[in-house]
Amino acid sequence: MSLGTPKIVPLKDLAARVTDGSSLALGGSFLHRGPFALVRELIRQGRRDLEVIKQSPGYDIDILCRAGALGRARAGIVAMEGNFGLAPWYRRAVETGQIRLEEHACASLTAGLRAAAFGVPFMPCGGIHGSDLPALNGWKTVEDPYGSGETVYVIPRITPDFAVIHANEVSEEGDVRVYGTSHWDRIMSRSAKRVLVVAERVASSASFREQPELTLVPHFLVEAISIVPDGAWPGSCWPHYAVDYPAVEAYMDEAPGVLQAHLDAAPEAREAAHV
Amino acid sequence: MSEWSPFSYVVTNLARFVRPNEITFSGVNSALPMLACLLAKRAYPFAFTYINVAGGVDPSPSMVPISSSDPVLAEGSRSIFANEDFYDLCTRGQMDLCFLGAAQVDALGRTNVSCIGDWHAPKVRLPGGGGGAVMLPTARRAVTWRTEHSRRTLVETLDFVTASGGMHGVVTPIAVFTKRDGRLVLASWHPEASLDEVQDRTGFRFETDGAEPTQPPTPAEAEALAALDPDARFERDAAIRLR
Repeated sequence: MSLGTPKIVPLKDLAARVTDGSSLALGGSFLHRGPFALVRELIRQGRRDLEVIKQSPGYDIDILCRAGALGRARAGIVAMEGNFGLAPWYRRAVETGQIRLEEHACASLTAGLRAAAFGVPFMPCGGIHGSDLPALNGWKTVEDPYGSGETVYVIPRITPDFAVIHANEVSEEGDVRVYGTSHWDRIMSRSAKRVLVVAERVASSASFREQPELTLVPHFLVEAISIVPDGAWPGSCWPHYAVDYPAVEAYMDEAPGVLQAHLDAAPEAREAAHV
Repeated sequence: MSEWSPFSYVVTNLARFVRPNEITFSGVNSALPMLACLLAKRAYPFAFTYINVAGGVDPSPSMVPISSSDPVLAEGSRSIFANEDFYDLCTRGQMDLCFLGAAQVDALGRTNVSCIGDWHAPKVRLPGGGGGAVMLPTARRAVTWRTEHSRRTLVETLDFVTASGGMHGVVTPIAVFTKRDGRLVLASWHPEASLDEVQDRTGFRFETDGAEPTQPPTPAEAEALAALDPDARFERDAAIRLR
């Protein structure tokens, strides 16, 4: 991945890199700054048996379940949020066994990602004692080998095939800038085998050099990027736009045809239709 | 129509757990604790640090968002204190108070946010605990809320133990519980409910020594909530009933 390789590609090409069965750490949280344009493009391309790895998925995991594109999930808390409550298609997919869930606490999932990022096979995680989750997941404890007497849970390494992040701005070379909270995007970008990015727009390389502290992911960690304005729709992308609640409400309608209408109404689909 | 609306009762009593000079956190899927923290900032004459899941540190949001993880909650923030930061703060023992959701709570203040029925063949798959399993045992105090006070939410036996460690406080539309000697005890009840009603609608046994009707909202609390929810949008959305 030298500087000479063009990193900015059409969304179709970005999605084509993700093969059936891939595991995806999806950035953002609930309805906020998720890489939703890419998630929808994976559905349009008919991807199957994907895995979502995310502390707090919502719309993204729900629409993948609705489209039959998901096989597995590792997650901490799943909901549509706002006033929409549970994620209905996800809920049904777990209840009927359509997908296999590995239930985490958000921090245990982070610990597994940290293990991958740090290049070690497992990572201690605070808390968890007394929960039924360790028995469910086969998590083990270790006693402090340095003699404090403390016992901690250790979470096995989680290495996603891809981290997919929705960013505010990127440079032509592939540097990634995010405004506001980074959610878990940073650790995702350090733990995954490959990093894909959807961004609102391109900003000058000079601007990245002027404020390098705003760069969440440097170009050499990034494989490819698509520019999709409004790509986090129907969620928010601070400070560009807020959640489109009427669009989420329309999505929640379970009638046949709603999923297709929703996909067709998405910014990246309307953009493609006008080209 | 009740004198003290159950919505105001829950938000106000959550706010009353906030203490001076402490660090208090509210998370995702938590509109009522978000309102409680904002209420405490307006109504109480003391300083505390309010951090939230949007990365905000004592923010001054330009509006009160429907989603309690909305980036608006970091407007005017002094810092972006992101997800890994506040979890680590909690596990190293420096989170004074955090608000955590629950579907079921037992007498020890443990929670189930995972499933109704067997985990492997659930009748209802619930959201999952999010921060719970890590934050509940490591925060100095954790407080939860239920908008329904019933034997199916306050239970003798949890369907699944998502998080242990024990809630310091539980607020429902008719009661406030706090922890004493490792068990939840009744602290107070809604003035329009009664001790009998609370006992009748709770699935676990609890001590009632010293419990009394909850003190009504102060003018400052009432004014703060009215300012935060001037059109009663949050109150309508929450749709909390006394019974």
